[in-house]
Amino acid sequence: MSHHYIRYTNVHYSYPSGQEALKGVDLLIKHGEKVALLGLNGAGKSTLLLLTNGLLLPTEGEVNVGDVPVSKKTAPMVRRAVGMVFQNPDDQLFMPTVWDDVAFGPRNMQLPPSEVERRVEVALRSVGAWDLRDRAPSDLSGGQKRAVAIATVLSMEPNILVMDEPSSNLDSRTREQLMAIVNDFHHTVVIATHDLEMALELCPRSVIMKDGRIIADGLTERLLRDQELLELAGLSLTPALAEYVEK
Amino acid sequence: MSGIDKAIVALRELDTGATRIAIDARIQLIVALGFVVVVLTVPLTNPGALVWMFAYPIIMSEASGVGYLRVLKQSLWVLPLIAAIGMFNPILDTRPVAVVMGITLTEGWVTFAAILLRGLLSVQALLVLTNTCGFREVCRALQRLGCPAVLVTQLMMLYRYIGVLLEEAQSMHRARLARGFGRKSYPLKMWSEFVGQLLLRSIKRAQRVHLAMLARGFNGNCFIEWARPSLHWRDLTFLLGWAAVIIALRFLPINAFLSNLISR
Repeated sequence: MSHHYIRYTNVHYSYPSGQEALKGVDLLIKHGEKVALLGLNGAGKSTLLLLTNGLLLPTEGEVNVGDVPVSKKTAPMVRRAVGMVFQNPDDQLFMPTVWDDVAFGPRNMQLPPSEVERRVEVALRSVGAWDLRDRAPSDLSGGQKRAVAIATVLSMEPNILVMDEPSSNLDSRTREQLMAIVNDFHHTVVIATHDLEMALELCPRSVIMKDGRIIADGLTERLLRDQELLELAGLSLTPALAEYVEK
Repeated sequence: MSGIDKAIVALRELDTGATRIAIDARIQLIVALGFVVVVLTVPLTNPGALVWMFAYPIIMSEASGVGYLRVLKQSLWVLPLIAAIGMFNPILDTRPVAVVMGITLTEGWVTFAAILLRGLLSVQALLVLTNTCGFREVCRALQRLGCPAVLVTQLMMLYRYIGVLLEEAQSMHRARLARGFGRKSYPLKMWSEFVGQLLLRSIKRAQRVHLAMLARGFNGNCFIEWARPSLHWRDLTFLLGWAAVIIALRFLPINAFLSNLISR
């Protein structure tokens, strides 16, 4: 289990353009929880994830990872604990080979070369991409890129995994693989997603956001049964999911 | 296949299509750079001496299976740039140096020809190197020879992101084609907008990549560590052999020897 929790206290964030992305978010994610952040585009899900990793800092309020308040000074330490998988794997894979990309994080942590090699191998094997290690990221398929992007974060052995729309642009097989990877991750996981089926399958708890605010927080199954709430959040169930939830 | 598609394929071939030879990349790099330095020592007033230097790219590309025609074609892409460097020489230096078939050759034309040959030789030497090592191996060789990690990383990221930029351009090009209804040419204004959009998209992507780097602990330092495999006898033989050949091509009076031979 992770020894880290994430606490957001009255978090506000405005982008330089003036757009107010978060308007007073209060949330506590406990050790080892798997939580889905649900909501439409522009609801503030991705901003919340970027704040968790210290890539953005709140304009007001506080984000704590464990006992550490996220600040410019603590950001490097926070990023060791919080691994972030970005929405577009092309943004995450920037080194010339898969191996170099997965080794990028451990090298920045200044680990000895033997430990870097071990972590790269473990991470790539865990996502089934060990055979791709010498390939250029540009030569990979969408699913392979996603798997490697996850490996780049797993190699840092984070205590908390935050994922932004991890199932977007994935075929069903790769999606299954992704679910298995997340299921095998025994620490805290926060997933921002539109994929309600994935949320139901992976995350016992969901948080629904709208216009920078949290409008609901509870058991995923219960939230997905609340038709009025889903309509308010602008979310809709697929027929299969609706049938499943009704049962 | 559109020009952008071809460029993407060509870029990938820099690595995946490289015809590897069993010589350490460091040695190939030293030979190629040594060759370029020697080419640059040939006086501009003696372009005839440069002609023999083509032996290096021709022999290397043919022996490695790359084929000189491929190298020649690739090198011609930079010919306009090389020509731009010396384009004023024929205008500014009109001193006559010789008369060939009734045409007076000026010093400016001679030096212009030398600049073209020097440029082509240098580019061809580097093309042979990337074609026989692969771009990544060249970068690794640079690092192993002591080039600062920050420069090597810049080079590798440049290589990686030329591909990303081309993919952005490709998706924009396809979107334009999809709504172009067969239209072939577009006004200059549209092209300038296309390039502007490409720049904006590239900046956005660069910002996202920077975030991804920060998220994985990047603090401006580069940690590229590659083992230094030991050299073999064949590597040293290659180095010494080519060093001898290049020095011979540079310093032996081959032209004078040939003209003596013919006049006899």
